[in-house]
Amino acid sequence: MFQWKKLGRVFNPLEVKNKSWLKEFAQAPATLIFDDFVRVYFSCRPSRDSNGQYVSYTAFVDLDRNNLLNIIQFSESPILQLGNLGAFDEFGTYPTSVIRAGKDVLAYYGGWTRCESVPYNVVIGLAKSTDDGVTFNKMGSGPVISYSLDEPMTVSGPKIRRFNDQWYLWYVSGNKWKMVDGRPESIFKIRMAKSEDGIHWAKENRNLIENVLEEDECQASPDVLLYQNKYHMFFSYKHSSNFRNTSRGYRIGYAYSTNMTNWVRDDSKAGIEISSGDAWDSQSIAYPHVFELEGNVYMMYLGNEVGRYGFGLAVLEKYEN
Amino acid sequence: MKWLKIGKIFDPTHHLLSNNCKEFAQSPQVLLFNDFVRVYFSTRERDSMGKYLSHIAYADFDKQFSKVIDIANKPIMKLGNLGCYDEHGIFPLNVLRAKGKLFGYIGGWNRRISVSVDGSIGVALSEDNGLTYRRLGDGPVITSSLNEPFLVGDPFVQCYENIFHMWYIFGTTWKRFSAEAPPDRVYKIGHAISRDGIVWEKNKDGRQIVSNSLGEDESQALPTVIKIGNRYHMFFCYRQSFDFRKNKNRGYRIGYVFSDDLQNWIRDDANVGIDVSQGEWDSDMLCYPHVFEMDGEVCLMYNGNEFGRFGFGLAKLEK
Repeated sequence: MFQWKKLGRVFNPLEVKNKSWLKEFAQAPATLIFDDFVRVYFSCRPSRDSNGQYVSYTAFVDLDRNNLLNIIQFSESPILQLGNLGAFDEFGTYPTSVIRAGKDVLAYYGGWTRCESVPYNVVIGLAKSTDDGVTFNKMGSGPVISYSLDEPMTVSGPKIRRFNDQWYLWYVSGNKWKMVDGRPESIFKIRMAKSEDGIHWAKENRNLIENVLEEDECQASPDVLLYQNKYHMFFSYKHSSNFRNTSRGYRIGYAYSTNMTNWVRDDSKAGIEISSGDAWDSQSIAYPHVFELEGNVYMMYLGNEVGRYGFGLAVLEKYEN
Repeated sequence: MKWLKIGKIFDPTHHLLSNNCKEFAQSPQVLLFNDFVRVYFSTRERDSMGKYLSHIAYADFDKQFSKVIDIANKPIMKLGNLGCYDEHGIFPLNVLRAKGKLFGYIGGWNRRISVSVDGSIGVALSEDNGLTYRRLGDGPVITSSLNEPFLVGDPFVQCYENIFHMWYIFGTTWKRFSAEAPPDRVYKIGHAISRDGIVWEKNKDGRQIVSNSLGEDESQALPTVIKIGNRYHMFFCYRQSFDFRKNKNRGYRIGYVFSDDLQNWIRDDANVGIDVSQGEWDSDMLCYPHVFEMDGEVCLMYNGNEFGRFGFGLAKLEK
């Protein structure tokens, strides 16, 4: 059983001035720890374009290591450019997950394209930074993890980890588009792949986490922490229909594993809920990211409308096996 | 090589096709039976927006190709589900009997917004001698990768010494060649191998196996391979990447490479042995070649003008 204490909102994108590429949303926080600050990558959006559509960029804020609610620096510009005409990431880079590899930093990100019959499709790209994560260059113009026989669409939400020299990627894959009131909604489940080098991946090709809400439950943002000899996965989940701004929206779920193969879901142990009243996280909480810093375990997460109003921080107060 | 043209053998406008298809019989692909030849092809329906959907149909011929003895009167397979790689078209369906199975390799197409389409390759199996095919999954078996960013298609599979080989194409660039024109694409030929015909490994991600003869912006499509003696011969079609639809000097021609090791291919278009014929159905364009051996003869099917709007023809190898 986990018990998290909310420390407050780290960052509200609506308060940022003079950055045309950062007008709305701060989604999918992912940390990279430095000696005297914590860099948090997130995805953000300029205002809608003339067709009323968004693109998304990834940027970062640096937080004071001694006070994670204190922002000491913003990135000057997005860390990654959008893809060229026709590329998988032409219209968005969201979400992004980072990891150190020797002196480099690698970023795995969801690249977004626009489709005719459905609004979008996503596959996962890979980029490398040689300047401590300030700017990244793509390792190719195509994706590092793409569609496959039973992962036909929406291959997204990468979370990169390395345990005992084995690379792991948790991510989601769509299994269908469901028509709800004439609008296609993506149904996606949590998946995993393994790699020896971070570039060549072998997919497990199965859903890791059982459903609790419905067969078409959507599961996202599977972030895994090795803590007290167990692998703990926090993720978010929601209903497949009528989930916008309602009690059917995202909540944070939990599963654990001792062997990375079998995952036992037990949301009652997640230990974090929506806030009451009209708080920024009173309607939904989503996209958990867990990390350790100086003996503490922290969770960053999104509040209402999947990060439209930024992300917050919680600290682990209590853990009982 | 020297090919003797037999002529056009199939015109889709002379037949009643399933899926409300009226024109186009593109990319003929052959399945041989003891006493007849089944030829799959891609034909087109217009959807409610007036855009094309490519469906697979077949025509059965006698072995002299003198007449059509049967034609698919119902769909071979449905197009892919909503949002899937093959939702808006199958072109081609490449079929192969190997290891006790009948495989159908799907060149699947789906529509995009900033560019017209994307594509990936899927696989299906037939358990009724090729009347219908069932997908093994909703997703593809070969698709985009780090160095093959989009437009993976045109599968052609053969099994040599117990290994499946696939030749296919991958896109390298979408490019606006002129301000008024929509973006055009450039694609090249790649190679992948498999032990079971289902799980594929690219023979080096992003490796173009056929050299360019028209420069970097040459598009190469629809490879087809035959082994004669100890040598592998590949035919494909190639063209300029813009102004190729109406301008006969920039449109598709059939190209040729050969290899003795399935790794290194030597381009030798001068020896392809087939070209356009003035005043004929294939006067402006030659495309979508399919090579096969039947009863000791090497045959080539292909499309002519307008990318096969009015059917496909046959040629036989003279020497």
